[in-house]
Amino acid sequence: MQEIQEDSAMMVAVNLKVNHKDYRLEIDSRATLLEILREELAFQSVHRSCEEGECGACTVLLNGEPVNSCLMLAAAADGAEIITTEGLVRDGKRHPLMDAFVDLHGMQCGYCTPGMLMTAYALIENTAEQVLTDAQIRKGIEGNLCRCTGYVNIVKAIQEAKKQRDAGNWW
Amino acid sequence: MESRENRLIAGKGQFADDLDIPGMAHLVFVGSPHAHAKILSIDVSRALSLPGVIRVITGSDMRQHTKPLPVQANFKSPDWIWRLATIYAMPEDKVRWFGEPVAAVVAEDETTARIAADRVVVTYEPLPAVANPSAALEAGAPKLYDDWEDNKQVHLKFDWGDPDAAFAEADRVIQVSHSEGRVTGLPIEPRGCVAQYDPKRETLNMWGTFQTPYLARHNLAAALGIPEARVKVTAVDIGGAFGLKIHVWKENVVALASMLTGRPVKWSESLRDFITTGPHQRDVFWEGEVAVKNDGTLLGLRATVTHDLGVESTNKGIAALSIFPACSSPPNMYKWKGMHIEGIGVVTNKSFYCAYRGYGKDKGLKFIESVINRIARELGMTPEAIRFKNFIQPEEFPFHQINNYVMDSGDYPATLNKALEMADVDSWRSEQEKVRSEGRYIGVGLVTTIEPAGVAVPNCQMGGLTEARVQIMPDGTVEVDSDRTEIGQGSEISHTQIVCDILGCLPEDVYIRPVTSEWIGQGPLSSRGAVWPASAVAKAAKMLREKINRIAAHFLKAAAEDIEAKSGEIFVRNQPEKKLTFKALAEKAFFFPGPRGLPKDMLLSHGQLLDVTTTWYSPTTPESGSSYTTFCSSADIAIVEVDTETGVSRILKYVHVHDAGTVISHKVIDGQIHGGIVQGIGEALTEKLDYDAEGNLLNTSIAEYLMPTAVEAPEIEIAHLETPSPFSETGSKGMGEAPIIGSKAVILTAIEDALTPFGVIVNDSPATPERVLRWIREAQGERL
Repeated sequence: MQEIQEDSAMMVAVNLKVNHKDYRLEIDSRATLLEILREELAFQSVHRSCEEGECGACTVLLNGEPVNSCLMLAAAADGAEIITTEGLVRDGKRHPLMDAFVDLHGMQCGYCTPGMLMTAYALIENTAEQVLTDAQIRKGIEGNLCRCTGYVNIVKAIQEAKKQRDAGNWW
Repeated sequence: MESRENRLIAGKGQFADDLDIPGMAHLVFVGSPHAHAKILSIDVSRALSLPGVIRVITGSDMRQHTKPLPVQANFKSPDWIWRLATIYAMPEDKVRWFGEPVAAVVAEDETTARIAADRVVVTYEPLPAVANPSAALEAGAPKLYDDWEDNKQVHLKFDWGDPDAAFAEADRVIQVSHSEGRVTGLPIEPRGCVAQYDPKRETLNMWGTFQTPYLARHNLAAALGIPEARVKVTAVDIGGAFGLKIHVWKENVVALASMLTGRPVKWSESLRDFITTGPHQRDVFWEGEVAVKNDGTLLGLRATVTHDLGVESTNKGIAALSIFPACSSPPNMYKWKGMHIEGIGVVTNKSFYCAYRGYGKDKGLKFIESVINRIARELGMTPEAIRFKNFIQPEEFPFHQINNYVMDSGDYPATLNKALEMADVDSWRSEQEKVRSEGRYIGVGLVTTIEPAGVAVPNCQMGGLTEARVQIMPDGTVEVDSDRTEIGQGSEISHTQIVCDILGCLPEDVYIRPVTSEWIGQGPLSSRGAVWPASAVAKAAKMLREKINRIAAHFLKAAAEDIEAKSGEIFVRNQPEKKLTFKALAEKAFFFPGPRGLPKDMLLSHGQLLDVTTTWYSPTTPESGSSYTTFCSSADIAIVEVDTETGVSRILKYVHVHDAGTVISHKVIDGQIHGGIVQGIGEALTEKLDYDAEGNLLNTSIAEYLMPTAVEAPEIEIAHLETPSPFSETGSKGMGEAPIIGSKAVILTAIEDALTPFGVIVNDSPATPERVLRWIREAQGERL
């Protein structure tokens, strides 16, 4: 019987800016960014599902770009600025991207939604003032799986949010 | 009040994985690496030696502290087979499928539990496994359950109408066969729960991904040996279910862990475990013959459908129960003389079988639709022509189908006509002809289906229980309870709409409470939502409205029949200045007894209590035995191009026309249609659980089990017809399953149509690129 090698805990210090607030944390070096965001900092919108970077439910923005937080060690995010769905809410007001998802029923069970929002946010930010076709949206959210909506209303919601962005109703 | 949508979109969902109770321990399962093996020993010492590990639970604990999993459906008939096995939530003696849990580690945190799970050493003696029905039924095949004669769990036989007369009248009899691959519905959120046993009160509380809390409590209490009254099960926000979260089984281990450790215990399943040890579906093989006249008149069917059920062990007859609807659904929306159908269920060394959108009724429908398209081709008819010839007509409802379904309403010709018009089928057929010469292969697929909804089956747990409560609080807000959990399918939106339409209150004043086991009902399964719970809620709201009218009439000094209510105000017809808000009315009702308040007769009859609990039952089931109460109908047309170089199928156009009776909420229904269609496309093109001959599951990850992404999913055009159901309280019909049935069938038939020049018959799924290329090669090879 082969002996299983187990890594032992080693604590490391990390500085993270999450949702506009600075955190200094002593964390287990093995912890993923997903674990730290969900469990240490209680940002529960960051959902856990496949834990292998396939479903996109744990997507967050790391320095403005979407990443699967399950695949990244929290220690590797030292110094980064992170935004989760909670961070899109401003002064208790829902982000226009969120309103678009609610108004156009781009959400059913809501489990993939926070990750989807993060990917959509980056997609819209990265194509500001440019044409964004449905095909580009579909390609852009390919890494975020949804089992409920068939993606139809998600694409519509992202198009609507894009209009809001270009009209200046955005943050 | 903030709606569920607004709460969830802002990241405030409270899913099972978000549950956090002080003092909570974490549980992780250890799965078997063998499909079939004797358990010789389990050594937990190295796991227990890891700091933070509290306890390891094994099959011996289950045998010592719990009872066998309770029987959920048991049917006996003289010439039928129906076998059940005695099984605990974890086995003590042998494992029967790859991944089957054999131990559960409880630790202070999940990471420690996961590391400790790797330290549990189980010694197995592998046994030969059977991984498909034909291997399982061979003489001398290894048996899963020693006390059974063989591996056949179920054999049912049905005669609908007069099958012999049907075949006697036939101009021709066509041999048919049809298979479906094994799939999982796989919501993005796996299963999970927290169990908290209170040793002083001897009560058990559980919160988690419970699609049907009332049934979950019954089955948990039975296995754990706790009186049902001392168990409460609450559904939290559920990240999709599609039937896969009805069945409770591992949850017994979590509950026992809390009982044995005195701690609240949380279990969050990994997605790999959900695939490997979750409910599976489809995996059937049909073989038979169909009798028709040369003018396309459908006469009869003789067929046998064989199911690969996997292990029987965990849901005690509910997997087997799905064979009934598989056998009874083939008549679909057509007139037939008779059918003889046999349903066989075979146990194999694979994960168990349970509900997934369709459950069983989908199987007969997809089979018959494929058969009808094949008949049309053989007779040189279009797929629409053969359907128009055989449809039940709008004036024939309620229609007593040969299978005992009492079909409520519909306009099948209009449904199909609308789809033909939207899809512009004739142009596509010209296009199909034209591009063939360029080596491009376009197929026009057409399928029509009913959706039998709202199951009630005697002699099992799906008996049709439903209760609902609507009450107005003293501050005028409205609280609604029912068994209809919100699994993303729109329960809360629908119930809010129903209550507002009937009471005249404002949506922001309505709170749909999380569903608990306190409310009797089977929950949202078999598309019951818009039939049973919606009817119970509507009935309660109507009764409450009568009370409101009487109370308001008293205070506004008007006749009860002149009271109207709209947009949160209660007023006298034609005298809108004489009005009360719901808050004012409720305060008066609750806090103003006589003599200056409400009259004596109202107080004595409790008319002031703005609280109604009621029940609802199908008006057709008791008399006819029709297991279903409403019947949606739909028509799907898909235009698919098949690349014969790569085998890849691409959807060029997708049209779906739906009749769900009176529409409660368009956005909910359209959302259900979109999601169902894309799941069906996944089944048609990419999704398949691949087991090898030894019973090892080869694709345990969504990197390998391919569900559609936004790129594969098509644009979908939808139209609605509304033929109200006379049998539900709101005129609405249960819906949500027709889309997955129609879409899977229509994609496959479109591929077959595209490959007509090659003579390919598509009678298996999924139609992966590799398979499509092989089918083309085989079809050409046969011709050479």
